[in-house]
Amino acid sequence: MEGFESGLTWEVRANDRKHHKQMKSFLCFRWGRYADNLVRSYKYSPLTFLPLMLFEQFQRAAYLYFLLMVVMQSVPDISSVPFYITILPLLIVLSVRGLKDLANDMARRRSDSEINSRPCDVLDSQSFNRAQWKDVCVGDVLRIHKDQVIPADLLILCSSEPHSLCYVETADIDGECNLKFRQALSATHNQLTSHPSEETLAAFDGVVLCEEPNNRLYTFRGQMHWRGESLLLDNEHILLRGTVLRNTDFAYGLTIYTGADSKVLRNCGKLRVKRTRMERVFNQVVIGIVLSMLLAALLLAIGAGVFSSWVMSHIGPTSALVINGNPVYTGFLIFWSYIILLSPAMPIALYISFEVIHMVHSLFIGWDMEMYWQQANRPAQARNTSLNEELGQVGYLLSDKTGTLTQNRLLFRQCCIAGEVYGDASSKAEDTEPMDLSWNPFSCGEAPVYQAASPDEEALVGAARELGWVFLSRTRDVIVVSELGVTREYRLLALLDFTSHRRRMSVLVREPEGGLKLYCKGADLVILERLQKDCLHQERTERALELFSQACLRTLCVAVRSVPEASWEQWSKTLDQSATMVTSDRDALLEKLYDQMEIDLQLIGVTAIEDRLQEGVPETIALLQQAGLKVWVLTGDKKETAVNIGYSCKLLDPDTRLLEWQELKQILQSPDPGVTFFKARQTELWAVDKQAAEAKTALVLTGPELAEFDQKPEWGATFMRLAEQCQSVLCCRVTPGQKADIVSLVRKHTRSITMSIGDGANDVNMIKTAHVGVGLAGVEGGQAVQNADFALSQFRFLQRLLLVHGRWSYRRISFFLRYFLFKTCGFALVHIWFGFFNGFSAQSLYETWFIALYSLFYTAVPVMCLAFFEQDVNAESSLKWPELYRSGQRQELSSPLILISSLLYAVYSSLVFFFIPFGVFHNTAYDLQTMAVTVAMAATFTANAEISLVTRYWTRLNVAAVCVSVVLFFICSRITQSTRLFKASPMDYFFLGASERAFIDPLVWLTALLTTWTAVLPSMTTLAINVILNMHDKHKVHSASSQPVELRSRLTRGASLRRSSYALSQGAGAGRLISSGTCIRSTVLTVDEQVTADNNSLTHSSRSTRRTTLMHQITHE
Amino acid sequence: MVKEEKEIANRPDNTAFTQQRLPAWQPMLSAGIVIPGFVLIGLAFIGIGVALFVTSRSITVLEIDYTGIEKDSACFKCSNADVKNCVCNLVFSIDSLFEGPVFFYYGLSNYFQNYRKYAASRDDEQLSGDLDAFTAPSDSCSPYDYNSNDKPIVPCGAIANSMFNDTFVLYRVVNGANKLVPLDGKGIAWWTDYNVKFRNPSVTPLKNAFNNTVKPIFWPKPAYQLDASDPANNGFINQDFLVWMRRAALPDFRKLYRRITDGEYAKGLPAGNYSLTIAYNYPVESFDGRKKVVFSNVSWMGGKNEFLGIAYLVVGSLCVLMSIVMLIVYAKFKFPEED
Repeated sequence: MEGFESGLTWEVRANDRKHHKQMKSFLCFRWGRYADNLVRSYKYSPLTFLPLMLFEQFQRAAYLYFLLMVVMQSVPDISSVPFYITILPLLIVLSVRGLKDLANDMARRRSDSEINSRPCDVLDSQSFNRAQWKDVCVGDVLRIHKDQVIPADLLILCSSEPHSLCYVETADIDGECNLKFRQALSATHNQLTSHPSEETLAAFDGVVLCEEPNNRLYTFRGQMHWRGESLLLDNEHILLRGTVLRNTDFAYGLTIYTGADSKVLRNCGKLRVKRTRMERVFNQVVIGIVLSMLLAALLLAIGAGVFSSWVMSHIGPTSALVINGNPVYTGFLIFWSYIILLSPAMPIALYISFEVIHMVHSLFIGWDMEMYWQQANRPAQARNTSLNEELGQVGYLLSDKTGTLTQNRLLFRQCCIAGEVYGDASSKAEDTEPMDLSWNPFSCGEAPVYQAASPDEEALVGAARELGWVFLSRTRDVIVVSELGVTREYRLLALLDFTSHRRRMSVLVREPEGGLKLYCKGADLVILERLQKDCLHQERTERALELFSQACLRTLCVAVRSVPEASWEQWSKTLDQSATMVTSDRDALLEKLYDQMEIDLQLIGVTAIEDRLQEGVPETIALLQQAGLKVWVLTGDKKETAVNIGYSCKLLDPDTRLLEWQELKQILQSPDPGVTFFKARQTELWAVDKQAAEAKTALVLTGPELAEFDQKPEWGATFMRLAEQCQSVLCCRVTPGQKADIVSLVRKHTRSITMSIGDGANDVNMIKTAHVGVGLAGVEGGQAVQNADFALSQFRFLQRLLLVHGRWSYRRISFFLRYFLFKTCGFALVHIWFGFFNGFSAQSLYETWFIALYSLFYTAVPVMCLAFFEQDVNAESSLKWPELYRSGQRQELSSPLILISSLLYAVYSSLVFFFIPFGVFHNTAYDLQTMAVTVAMAATFTANAEISLVTRYWTRLNVAAVCVSVVLFFICSRITQSTRLFKASPMDYFFLGASERAFIDPLVWLTALLTTWTAVLPSMTTLAINVILNMHDKHKVHSASSQPVELRSRLTRGASLRRSSYALSQGAGAGRLISSGTCIRSTVLTVDEQVTADNNSLTHSSRSTRRTTLMHQITHE
Repeated sequence: MVKEEKEIANRPDNTAFTQQRLPAWQPMLSAGIVIPGFVLIGLAFIGIGVALFVTSRSITVLEIDYTGIEKDSACFKCSNADVKNCVCNLVFSIDSLFEGPVFFYYGLSNYFQNYRKYAASRDDEQLSGDLDAFTAPSDSCSPYDYNSNDKPIVPCGAIANSMFNDTFVLYRVVNGANKLVPLDGKGIAWWTDYNVKFRNPSVTPLKNAFNNTVKPIFWPKPAYQLDASDPANNGFINQDFLVWMRRAALPDFRKLYRRITDGEYAKGLPAGNYSLTIAYNYPVESFDGRKKVVFSNVSWMGGKNEFLGIAYLVVGSLCVLMSIVMLIVYAKFKFPEED
């Protein structure tokens, strides 16, 4: 007992707020042992906003750099351009970003407060009061209503159900959609239920000692000390925050962990700031630029030192140039002056433009009608507005299953009874003779909870009822069924429970006539091997099984056996004996006993249930796979279900080879995994197309298996290499933490962008871990959306999000970046070359106002238009030719090489900017200001000519932007060089009259024209050569993009093709509870009640559409 | 009704802008456009180049270096900085009529008028005639703001201080006699400089404004005595001063000195011998500079500029050349496709 007690340091005293409220707070800081139940995803408080925001912003090296620039520019000795040239853009950038952060934070606050203010009932001295989630405190006793989301991790004290059972839906946590039961301790059940009044609960003074808060969802260790007793607590007694109470009117619980301590939130992972790869590459480039600038400035400064010592050695009028006697000091000052002068090459405007572009792209996502979900009145939403271009580069899509791929509703589609297939287009299921569907209610032994534990069974019972077999009621021993109007009573003798190993379950009933029947349902393989020899219809049924599985239905075999009275008696005696045995021995014995009973079965038939996919899922996955994305499914659900969904959503082809853990482990352990893997695939020799064979392997893993990766980190790389060659990877039974680990694994071992998509709280972690997280705004919850970067309503909207918006964003931003680097560097680097001809004096070749206005007025708008509107192909074509997406995955437009080449291009153009005017003005009577205007004109023309070359999609706005930019150059030049402004401030507007003369000088125009053309010549040539070479390629793309012939093998390969997915859950079924009668209500339900209950279930609503869909599906197949 | 409205409240607007369907022109480039385009532009550039080249050729330029470094140079005796008030005579002849109007420049090389500190060393307030700035020149003029006796220098600063002060007189040698060629020094500066940027203080006589100030250290005469012949051409609006204050772009530059437009010389300088008398004051030897005088006439494109014409020709030819390469590439790619 000592060992167990160790580590139980979390003390919870029921109904003792004082003990837990030892919370202190000062301003915005809080500390204390017990967290409150507030969700805080916001970052700022009014007090911390300014310092925190500035701190965060100045973490960007670029901003610090510009701050430094401003400081340096205010030093007169080194100021080569006035400080206001830099401080204005910096202030604009800071305030825009700050406002954006503020708006985001406000949105987070709103959504937090929405969650925090959800109502719940808290016991407050003798009575339950309506309070809000945020008021819940450790130690409080809560009353949870049916269908209420549980606000904190609770210990069940008692419930309205017999034996204080509770049913919870954990879909939001683990993705499983069957109901789980939780039970109160018998001590609390007995003591507190007898008087289910507030008084007894208020008097409850138990003390719970348990583990410190942790993120383990499936375990809980603790003790409760109450009335001198010490009771052990485990996971069975806990209701987790985020789960939903179902089928239970009330449950009373003691709050154990609140808010940030609760297991769900512990699983959420940290909020991390996501940066796009493009941004990182770009930052590297910027660092490269800064280093080059420093180097250039250093060399120029050395030049300045040498020059000044040369000048100093002379006397005469030019000795006036010497500022002071020390060349080293001169060089030092000049160094800083050049850093200032070259700083425009460091594009600060780029950061702000980046923000604006991202924002607009995000708006476009929200504005897209095609991603608007009418039924929920919900448009798509880009919650994180800085990841858009990553959408165009996604290489791995990691998807949740439940609620993401599937709608989480099951439908009874088809069945095969006595070898006849029913439920297809030709024969209506209702017309069938009263086949022995009566197994149905029995086999769904767990139906009594009027919502079935598993959706499979819910669907079956619903279908049976519609066909005339109505499940009326059951008590512990008796099941009442109305069979086509005749009420019959069956006595339940034994329930041979489900385990994941057995993959079947049976009921033994005594018919009203007195006969004994064993009904068994289970996975096809298990049932088929237990059939009588020469069983009737076996062959035809197997054919039907294949038919069903090709249609991607979940199949279930049902068989019956008449049990002789004698054998039953003997068997039941042994069974009774087993009840007294130790657990471990008993399980083995039970299994053997069950095996003995489930033999010589007679096949009744097969049912086929459709796990309904969301609309357009298979098409979307096919399209994404064509676009080169690897789609993986990570689910908390069981393997069978996951694989089944994999088939039905076309993630796996019928002939895909599934590679499971045992095989994979051998491959991973082998000295040369690649070769072994290849050999493993060699078994697929029937595949004609080698490439197709490569693609047609899929890995299927489960959570516990994945856990082995923790011990063998070296497997990660190998695994990813193998996975890269596979069609897909399915990970089942994974915890939210493991989902995130898988995402990390992919991130670590590939260079691809990962995207996670999910809808529940269990996906939050992986959504946060992936480069891009997408949340599906599902029926409930919304935790995923809260933490996601993008929120969609339907899985199929991913098509548009990735292939249209993502691709466009990526292209636009890539072009934008390249162009921006070109235009800023090209224009700033001129000063390096000019330095050689002005004694390295950091003399600017431009009017100061031109430097400021160049990036603001003369070049900014056209590139913004490009970044907003550019499309190479329209949305329809983007979807039609998903291959186009691959260029983003390969980063063809944004590789460092591309960025470097545009830098080189900028260097070239700066050389042109300087040396052509140099050649013209050399040894002439033209003055510096005329040359400055000429170079400025050439630079403006070049920037606008270059953007015209890049733009392939000329809207009116693009045209206007380019025209206005050029015109603005002339207007602004005339304004800043006008008499009026000069008179106002001669120091700031000293270019008086320069443009007035220059703009009418043909030599200036001819020089600017030649300079412009020469500067854009490389870009022009590249464009022309691309046009010429792509003539050929375009034809190829177009011919290839016609739908390729699908080489799908129709080869059936025996039993392995069949996919029977009968499995409730990885754990054992609730048979033990049922047979012990724990969960059977004593009251008998009326038919009405049941129908009402069923109406609530999702199955009903879709029933009417079922037949048409089915017909459609069959013709499709 | 209200409910309906609410239901579609979040529906995005269906406009061309929000749906990214703005009508747009998507130029479809093809080899058939690109290659002829290159040829055309190339030809256009060649055309401009030829025009520029021909124009430039038609401009006559006479450039004479008078630095005096070489021993056989006429001004050799003056190149020594110790010789004060040196005058030298430069004799040259013109074979045929030097068509007018002829512009007379002086040229300096290796002279960094575009040095930043040099340029900043001036006081705009002072130069615009502000008398306060006469008594207290701006710091930017330092060290040319006060002389050793703490008297303010007007005009202050390095750029003014280093004003070019060689003077030239041109004679036409007719039958052994020197006949003065009138030089026109009016309007050689920028209009804005003369009328806006530089103003004399409104004090008459101008001299009084300069009371308690000293002339720049290198200047032989104070600012109000720059032009003895024309009282209006003194102070800060002296044309030569204005020309000097407009900084050159590059270390090798010319500045307009005079125009030859008067009477018989309006059509140009007739063939014959000329003598240029130079008051050699400006030392350039110390910074390896050169001084020269340049006579030139002008065309629509300004002075002689062969560089531009040649550059146009080169770039134009390059375009044509490239279009030929493209044609070859195009042919190579096109024909296999047809096979």
